This record gives sequence, C-alpha cells and structure tokens, in this order.
Amino acid sequence: MNSPTARPLATEPDSPDRASDDTAPPRQPRRPLAAPPIAALVQRKPGDEAPKTAMPDVKADVRHVNFFYGKFQALHDISVPLYDRRVTAFIGPSGCGKSTLLRILNRIYELYPGQTATGEVILDGENILMPGLDLNRLRAKIGMVFQKPTPFPMAIYDNIAFGIRLYEKVSKSELDDRVESALRRAALWDEVKDKLRDSGLSLSGGQQQRLCIARAIAIEPEVLLLDEPASALDPISTQRIEELIAELKADYCIAMVTHNMQQAARSSDYTAFLYLGELVEFDETETIFTHPRVRRTEDYITGRFG
Amino acid sequence: MIPLYARRRLTNRIIIGLSIAATGFGLLWLVMVLGTLLINGASAIGPALFAQMTPPPGSSGGLLNAIAGSVVMTGIATLIGTPTGILAGTFLAEYARGSQFGELVRFINDILLSAPSIIIGLFVYEAMVVRMGHFSAWAGAVALAIIMVPVIVRTTEDMLRLVPSALREAAAALGAPKWKVVVMVTYRAALQGMVTGVLLAIARISGETAPLLFTALNNQFWSTDLNRPMANLPVVIFQFAMSPYADWQVLAWGGALLITVSILVLNITARILAAWSSFKS
Amino acid sequence: MSAEIAIGRKGRAAGRHGAFGDAAFKTLTLAFAVLVLVVLAGVIASLVLGAAPALEHFGFNFLITEAWNPVTEKFGALAPVYGTLVTSAIAMLIGIPVAFGIALFITELCPNWLKRPLSIMIELLAAIPSIIYGIWGLFVLAPFVQEHIEPALIDTLGAVPGIGLLFQGPPLGIGVLTAGFILAIMVLPFISAVMRDVFETVPAVLGESTYALGATTSEVVWRVVLPYARIGVFGGILLGLGRALGETMAVTFVIGNAHHIHASLLQPGTTISAALANEFTEAVGDLYLSSLIALGLILFVITFIVLALAKLLLIRLEKQAGS
Repeated sequence: MNSPTARPLATEPDSPDRASDDTAPPRQPRRPLAAPPIAALVQRKPGDEAPKTAMPDVKADVRHVNFFYGKFQALHDISVPLYDRRVTAFIGPSGCGKSTLLRILNRIYELYPGQTATGEVILDGENILMPGLDLNRLRAKIGMVFQKPTPFPMAIYDNIAFGIRLYEKVSKSELDDRVESALRRAALWDEVKDKLRDSGLSLSGGQQQRLCIARAIAIEPEVLLLDEPASALDPISTQRIEELIAELKADYCIAMVTHNMQQAARSSDYTAFLYLGELVEFDETETIFTHPRVRRTEDYITGRFG
Repeated sequence: MIPLYARRRLTNRIIIGLSIAATGFGLLWLVMVLGTLLINGASAIGPALFAQMTPPPGSSGGLLNAIAGSVVMTGIATLIGTPTGILAGTFLAEYARGSQFGELVRFINDILLSAPSIIIGLFVYEAMVVRMGHFSAWAGAVALAIIMVPVIVRTTEDMLRLVPSALREAAAALGAPKWKVVVMVTYRAALQGMVTGVLLAIARISGETAPLLFTALNNQFWSTDLNRPMANLPVVIFQFAMSPYADWQVLAWGGALLITVSILVLNITARILAAWSSFKS
Repeated sequence: MSAEIAIGRKGRAAGRHGAFGDAAFKTLTLAFAVLVLVVLAGVIASLVLGAAPALEHFGFNFLITEAWNPVTEKFGALAPVYGTLVTSAIAMLIGIPVAFGIALFITELCPNWLKRPLSIMIELLAAIPSIIYGIWGLFVLAPFVQEHIEPALIDTLGAVPGIGLLFQGPPLGIGVLTAGFILAIMVLPFISAVMRDVFETVPAVLGESTYALGATTSEVVWRVVLPYARIGVFGGILLGLGRALGETMAVTFVIGNAHHIHASLLQPGTTISAALANEFTEAVGDLYLSSLIALGLILFVITFIVLALAKLLLIRLEKQAGS
C-alpha cells in the first residue's frame, strides 16, 4: 500500500501555479475516485465500489488510520475521503478523536514525543504519513487554524509575511500585495489596513482568528484544517468566520472540527461523526442531519447524548 | 465545650500575632538596612565620588575607577552570560522535555544557582589566574558570567515553557522549521520574561564580592587593561570598610549605597517588565 | 491493512527544508547545555587538584585539627568547619520560625491588596547583596549587639548552668553570634519565599473544607497546610541552609576571623568562606594555598549535598503537585 512513487514534498516545492493542480486528474491511478456518498460504515472497505460521476475530486484520502498517544489508542482504523472544494465537518463528543484526526493531516502531532499514527493519508497521490517526508513542506501545503486565535507576538503585517517569507523570496511590493490579498480574502483588510504595524495581539478575538485564517491562506495551501475555529468567539464573530468558510470553499479543500451541530449543518458539505475513536458515519451533511443511518449518530445530532 | 473553644481561639490569636510579629521583624531589617545605608551613604555621594580615583589612606577621593571597573566587568560578564544562558535554557525548554539528560542539566544548573559564589571564584582562580600568571579583569568577568548563567538558564526555561504550545503549533503548521519557530515566534512571545531574567542576573552579580577577590582583585588606579587587575566597587567596599581610616569608610558607605540603588532599580525595572508582560497576555 | 509506518523514525535529512538550520540550532543549544555540566566538572576538578597537596600532606588529620598556623605551616579545617556549622545553625534557629511566620502571614492572613507589595519587599530583601549586610553588620549591628544584646545575654543566660557556657566572656560585638544573626536575616527571604510558594500549592478546597468544620486559621495551617506541604517546607529550609553555609561577605565582616573553637558564641571565630576571603590573596606558600583550597572543597561538598537534597525534595513536591 505504501506507494513509492512521486514524492514532491521530499524534493522540490510545488509549482506556485495552482491552476494546474485543479485541472490535473487525481494522481492515484490505481484507486477509484472516492467512496460513494451513501456510505455509512463504508470505512471498513473503502473505495471498492464504482465512482459516481458527479462526485468532486478527492483531495486527501484517509485510509485505515490508527493513532496512539503512547500506548493509548485514540483512533481506530479511520478511513474517510476529503473532497476538493468542499467542507468536511468532523463532529462528535469531546474526546472522540476528531481533533486528533485533524492533527494527523499535517502531522503536527509529531511535535510531541510518544504520539504515533499508522495507516495512510494520500494527498495528491502521495502518502503523507510516509517516513522521511519533509514535514515543513507538507505543512506549507496544508494550512491550519486553531481553536483559540494564535496571533504571533509581532505586527499584523509580519504575522502574514512570516509564512510567505519562509518559502519564497519576494520583493517588498509583491509581499505587500500578498499580505493585502490574504487580509482581503479573510475579510479583515478594511479593519486593519491603517494599522498594519500594530501588534497582532491588539486585535479583538474575532479579528485575531481572521488574522490567523489570513496567515494560513497567505502561503497558498491546498487544504485548510480548521480546529473548532469559532468556538472561542462571540456569535457575530462566529457568523463572519462561517461566511468566510463559505467563500474559501471555492478554492480549498476544507476539513473542520466543530462541536457545534448547527455550524456543521450550516457550513459543511460532508460530515463525519466520530465516537470513541471510531468513525461511526460519514455522508453528505444533508443526509447525516436528516436521515442518519446509524442510531448513535441520530442520538448525538438530536442531543440525546454527548 | 465553651472553655475548649475559648482555648482554641486564644491559640489562634497567639499564632496570628506571632505571624504578624515575624513579618514585622523581617520588614524591620529591610527598613533598617536601607535606612542606615541612605543616611551614611548620602554624605559620601557627591561629584567627587564619580570624578576622582580611589585615594590612598587618609586622603579624600572618589570611586571613579571602581565604578568603571564594575561596569566593564559586569558588561563583559553579561555579554558572555546572556547568550550562554539563553541557549542552554532553550535546550531545556524546547529540546529536552522529559529527557533524562535534560533532568540532569536542570538539576546541576539549580545546584550552581545556589552554590557559594566564593567557590566559583576559586574555580576561576585555578582555571585562569594561575594559568595566566596574574589576576585580571578577564578572570573577574568570567567568574561573574559563571554566576550569571544559571540564573538566566532558569528564567529562560521557565519563560519559554509559559509560551502556549498552540503558538508553536501555529508556526509549525505554516511549515516553519523548528529553529525558526523558536527564534522568530517563541523568543518573541517570551521576550519580556527573558529580559527580566537577564536584568535579575545582572542585579545578582552587581554586588558579588567573593568571586572577584580571587580574580579581578583590585587596583587603586585607573586601568582599562583587561589583562591586569581591575578596581571594582564590591572589593573596594570590602577593603575600605574593614580599614581603620574614616575617609575610606565614608567612601565604602557611598559605594554600598550606589550598588544597592542600582540593584533595586534593576529589580524594580525587571518586576515592572514582568508585570507588564503578564498584563498583556 | 496497510503497512505499519513508524512515524517516530528520522527521515532522510538531506534536502529537507530547514533541516540544516534545525540540526545546527539544536546542536548549538545542546553545546551550551553541556557547558553547564562542564562548569560543574571544572569546579570539582580544580578544587580536587588544588586541594590535593594539602590533603596528601595532612591526610585525614586535616579534618580534625584545630591549628591554623601559616608560620609553622600546620593547617587544620576544624575551626572553620565548626564556625560554618555553628553560624548556620544559629541562622536556621532564628530564620526558620520567622520565615514560617512571614510565609503564613502572606498566604493565609494578610489582606489581598497587601500580598503583592509584601512579597516584593521580602524579595527585595533577598536582592540586597551580602556585602551590604556585611558593612551594615560591621558598623550598625555589631556595636548594637555589643552594647545591648550581649551584656543582657551574659547576665541572664550566661548564669544558667549548661547553656551558660555559650554566653561567656567579654561582649565584643564581633563574633559567632553576630555572624549567625546576620546570616539569619540573609536567609529569611529565601526560606520564606519557598515556603510561601509551597503553601500556595496546597489546594484551596483542603483549607476550605477544614474551615467549614469550624477550624481556626492556626488549626488549618497546623493540621492541613503544614502536613500537606512538609516536603516543600523542608526543601525550602535546606535551600536556605545551603545559602547560609556558603555565605561569605556578610560573615567575613563580623566574625572576627580567628581560627579557634570557643564554647562561647560571643567569641570571634571563622567560617570556611570567611577564611578564604580573608586569607586567600595573601597566602604565601603552596601548602597554605592548597589548605585554603581544601577548605573550599569541604565547603563545596557540604553545600552540594545540602542543595542536592533540597532540590530532590522540591522535585518530588513538583511531581506530587503535577499528578
């Protein structure tokens, strides 16, 4: 299963030309496009059925992933596809492993000793759980926004420029343009354009979170991971973040963890329900919220437990 | 029941009273030390103190060469000690969490933190003065740096550990290599705390006398040669205070006041800085 | 099931973004961490090498000889070791109860607005360098002790059989008692700061539930806080003891620097660090110098043991609080 083919992450950085990625066929020829949408419990045997024609491309495919905190197994044989230009929400009671799953996708868990993942996550035909992978390049390709806003203790401008400068040598004027466009896409530009030199810490919580989103998209990732991005925010800020997610969906594959049912229903196209480290059900969001196949999913969504 | 309760209440009152008395006792010394220092030192403070060299016995003079020597040696010690302490503290906080080697370094560092400074003086005497064949300002600065390092290691580690891991994760999630995360993000977040640590370390060495006795020794004259003995406030205070000459004793009080004021200023600055940074986050 | 992939394994370093910088930075910080160990090793090596001639010459007798005669080159460590231990004991005797009282006041009794300023003042007391205490001890405390405290002690305790031996002779002001007293003032802030921190680790619910039973403040402290915090309190005391044992300048000013052992605390004596400070630069002859370094080695061994013990206790406390 461990594909020894292309490893662009381990060699050269990707071409900055994203358009080619969009039109290119999926790079994994030996596997079907996706699991079918009506696929409750399908994770036990992923992708054996014929693909549906109207399905979007699979951007990242999680296959048989297990995760361990030391000896404790936090995830059991998770398989779930993440579709390009769609929002996939992960829901479930706290401790179910939804955040853990997200943290596998950019291998941020490897900052800590004793945490291991097994299985495969195929991103553009490449297994990103492969050892020897260039983690920094991987993370540059996959943006992440955390539960609490994490502005760096530097100017608003430098917060955005930090990530850009890591991988590209750009002129001052181009950097200015990139910062502006990232802030515009994160719907923050009008609020901060006159105080780009102020500390990122001086912004309100909601603004800080949009700054973090701007920072993440400034390096032009292909996948965005949102770990309860609005849980620490007030309702109005939450609404703005959700509107932003709806806009960003046009360009990215988005995976979002949330404990807020309504948010998952409003913002996502697909929903995965996890319970005690296992994937209970994965389907189109509409189906999950109207006709869940598994009783436990229904109980959770209707608030009978969790 | 009632007599028992009355006795309990009495015991309580006595203990509370003793506790208040102990606090008053402790503060009394602070007030008395600072008070006499101010009274005796103030009479010595004047332009001459900063303008003239240390005098021979029985004549008047100032502390210029001693002040300059202290500043020079403390400065060199800070230049050596700060990067050393910060890098070692960085290792403990960022690379050695939970490792046995890290535990060992932390343990040894804490021992050095409280080890008698005169022992450090002996070490530098053996390692530098004997080898070079003479006392020198370099040896004094190195001894002070060695005393400074454990303080900075400790505060740096503590301050870096206070930086939320979410901030490191956020930087790593952008694809930043670890060293850039540490240098560009973690250091920045912990900057005020780390500066506080350096200021406290400078305060700690500004009054250190014992390690300078065997290293920089003293010099009655102006000297800028780092390879020769150099005058410094603490040793001059020691020598002058223990002497029978009234002029020297007055100068000793003046020097003592000078050192104490600078240390208190450093401490209070450090505290304000620390309070300000915790207020901000 | 796909092949198991060990994530913990190091990848191929070549060509990875930032890999060189990462390795270089880690090695750099590691080198400076190792430097901390090197300093300790250097301290031990230089003390042992420096002390070797004296220890070879005098052997074990060095430890049990009181004589200290530069002219006849006969040296023994007994007087300074005795002085070090006795002054530290006096410091602990006075310092521990007072520090306990201060810590108790700060954590349990004082109004909230007073807590911070009081803590800061106590910590400023710790920041004042020992030479300041020394000069103050010499010019202010010693005359005061000579005129008021020592005559009173001689008249009262000096007449008591037994402990009266400790308070014999003329009131000099300069001596072991004054040195111990200065040390007590110096270690106060260290011990009370550690005790305060330790008391604050006691979970508030423990105290609250005891108060809820109708206990008084002193009962809560005595029955709940102190038993809970005893390891840390002991660690703090040892930390203060480590300071007292090695303290140099404050003691040097007021102890009188006499290599004799007197039963009376009012007589001059010496400590290891005071002997070093007074005699080191003037010592002529290799044996004299080596004997002084041997004193330093003894001091280092004693303080190392005390500090290591203190540290181990405090680490145990941290683990207990963490779990």
